[in-house]
Amino acid sequence: MTARPLRRLRVEEGLRVLKGRRLRKPSVAPWMIMVIIAVAAFLGLGFARTSLDRSAFDLAELNKAIDEQAALNEQLRLEVARLENPARIAPLADELGLVIPTTTNQLLVNLDDPSPVVAESDGDGASQ
Amino acid sequence: MAVPTPEKLFSGSARMTLIGLLVVAAWLGMGYRLFEIQVVRAPELAEEGLSQRLVTREMAPQRGKIYDRNGNLLAMTVESQSLFAVPDQVTEPLYVAQQVGGLLGIDSDTLYERITSDRDFVYIERQVDGVLAEQILAQNLAGVFAHPEPTRVYPAGTVASHVTGFVNIDGDGQEGLELMYDDVLRGTPGHAEYEKAGPYVIPQGYTNIVPAVPGLDLTTTIDLPLQYQAQQACLDTVERTSAESCWAVVLEVETGEVLAMVGAPVFDPATRQTLDPSCEDADDPNQCRLFSNFVVRGMYEPGSTQKMITFAAALEEAEVTVGSIFEDIDDELELLEGACRSGDDDLHGCYVDFDEHDTMDMTVADIFTRSSNVGTIKVAETLGQKRLVDYIEAFGLGEETGIDYTVESPGLLRFDAGCQTCWASAAIGYSVAVTPLQMAAAYAAIGNDGVWTTPHIVRSTVDAEGETEVAGIETREVVSPGTALLMRELLASVVEDGTGRNGAVDGYRVGGKTGTANKLGEDGRYTDETRASFVGMAPIDDPQVVVAVLVDGPDYDHRTGGLAAAPVFSQIMEQALHRLGVSPDGEPG
Repeated sequence: MTARPLRRLRVEEGLRVLKGRRLRKPSVAPWMIMVIIAVAAFLGLGFARTSLDRSAFDLAELNKAIDEQAALNEQLRLEVARLENPARIAPLADELGLVIPTTTNQLLVNLDDPSPVVAESDGDGASQ
Repeated sequence: MAVPTPEKLFSGSARMTLIGLLVVAAWLGMGYRLFEIQVVRAPELAEEGLSQRLVTREMAPQRGKIYDRNGNLLAMTVESQSLFAVPDQVTEPLYVAQQVGGLLGIDSDTLYERITSDRDFVYIERQVDGVLAEQILAQNLAGVFAHPEPTRVYPAGTVASHVTGFVNIDGDGQEGLELMYDDVLRGTPGHAEYEKAGPYVIPQGYTNIVPAVPGLDLTTTIDLPLQYQAQQACLDTVERTSAESCWAVVLEVETGEVLAMVGAPVFDPATRQTLDPSCEDADDPNQCRLFSNFVVRGMYEPGSTQKMITFAAALEEAEVTVGSIFEDIDDELELLEGACRSGDDDLHGCYVDFDEHDTMDMTVADIFTRSSNVGTIKVAETLGQKRLVDYIEAFGLGEETGIDYTVESPGLLRFDAGCQTCWASAAIGYSVAVTPLQMAAAYAAIGNDGVWTTPHIVRSTVDAEGETEVAGIETREVVSPGTALLMRELLASVVEDGTGRNGAVDGYRVGGKTGTANKLGEDGRYTDETRASFVGMAPIDDPQVVVAVLVDGPDYDHRTGGLAAAPVFSQIMEQALHRLGVSPDGEPG
């Protein structure tokens, strides 16, 4: 092999050589952001799912509590009804010396007279 | 072609290639399997999985409640526990029988037999109170379990049992309003489908819930305190007169609403047992299941209470006036020759008055006040059979009143073709059979200026959207207001001067009519036993309430309507007037 001189580039007149821009290395930041978003979305989804599950459990607990309270309410209504049963009250009233009134007492209010005084009447026929 | 030598075949690079191929094949295999599972068979496998996790549960509807007119509970449903055993799992049957039997009051031998049977499942006791069930379950007895079950309870106990009726252990209506309105009260069952993993419901899993539609509530026309008072009056009367039973119904005149409907002896709707001392030693269990409501179902010959219809018809037809005089009224009337001498067919040809009296002239008012059978037949004679029967039918006898209560009796209004004297018997309340309710409705027509109204016991049904009034109330004019007014005066005279003095109520002018009818024996002949009744209304100038009382089989000392039934009427009417806030006569309303 023999050496030979480089051919000199012929520079035409009117043209000039510009310094070329350096190629930049590809950045990892966008990828990192995407990964972070993906991880955040994944975690967010997981959290949302867990929250929903927890809410579902809470809801089930609340429904159960409502059912229990409703059942208790019914039991109390039953208790009240049993306590109000005339067959229970009448003998107790009898023991206490209470009697069923044999006459009807009426308080007759005269609407024309502003005085609060009222006349009392009973079944014997007395009236104002 | 050159064959590779073994050294070359198992050289490092070849082995790596082979392993790589195997890994790729494995991945491809798994990928295919995944594709098959996730894509090709996905729907089928998803369904199979769901079916393994899916639980379907029937949701029983809540049976509707029954209220009185003031909102007092008469019947409701609560949850209880039904205890059961799986005999195979009961490891200590003797201990279980003694422990559980002792707590529940069940004979331990009987329970032992039950839990050692070869069945897969046996009930120990159904519908046990929740607290007691918890007490038993807390002992952790092997093979003993419980499941929730609705139970019908009646807070008013026996007081309204003849109104509400009852349900059987499965919650099906068997008697009274529970049976009549079973479809309305029952509701519609629902169901729930959901995914379950072990004992836990999978949150956000598949769910399909069709909620049960609860039954409608019923608001009755019954006034519970009055119902109690009426029942007590009847119970006291059964004791006072040694009667077999006592029945009473209270109607509001204008509306036809049943304010009270009672009977004695009573029964407990929860246990479905008659509360009668004789039941304790009863050989026949049916003897203690006397649930039938005689007020709507029982037929009896009304006796003199029927005369109200005879007189109303004669007055309406202008055949007589209140002052019309019938001459020579004897205390015996022989419509068929020889009937009074034969002693064989006394009431089909020979008619006698309850009290002996001399032959006399009597006005229509006298005949009614003294309850003369002979005089009444003379009045009926002016009408003739056809017109008399027409009026009896118009007053609602011989057909169901239409009350919204299960299995109503129509009574009996049918004369044998050859019967020549049945019209006369019917005029005085024999040869016809009525229910106490029919008589109450007939008298209510007189109280309501001659307008008959269908008696009814349910005012409205109630659901989540509100109250719906029950339809089907009919009215019809039976007699004119003028005739009704005359009849009310005649009825008042019975209480003031006649046979119904015991029916008087302090402070109010009352009208009513006594009735005493001999009971038919098993041989078809009349016996000395009677059915004593009284039907009346108050206040007579503007009737608000009608009360009908029937005392079945009182002792001889109380054998008449005036002695047995009128005092009960008086007690019940007094309470009814107070409950309705009706002013005493002479007082401003």
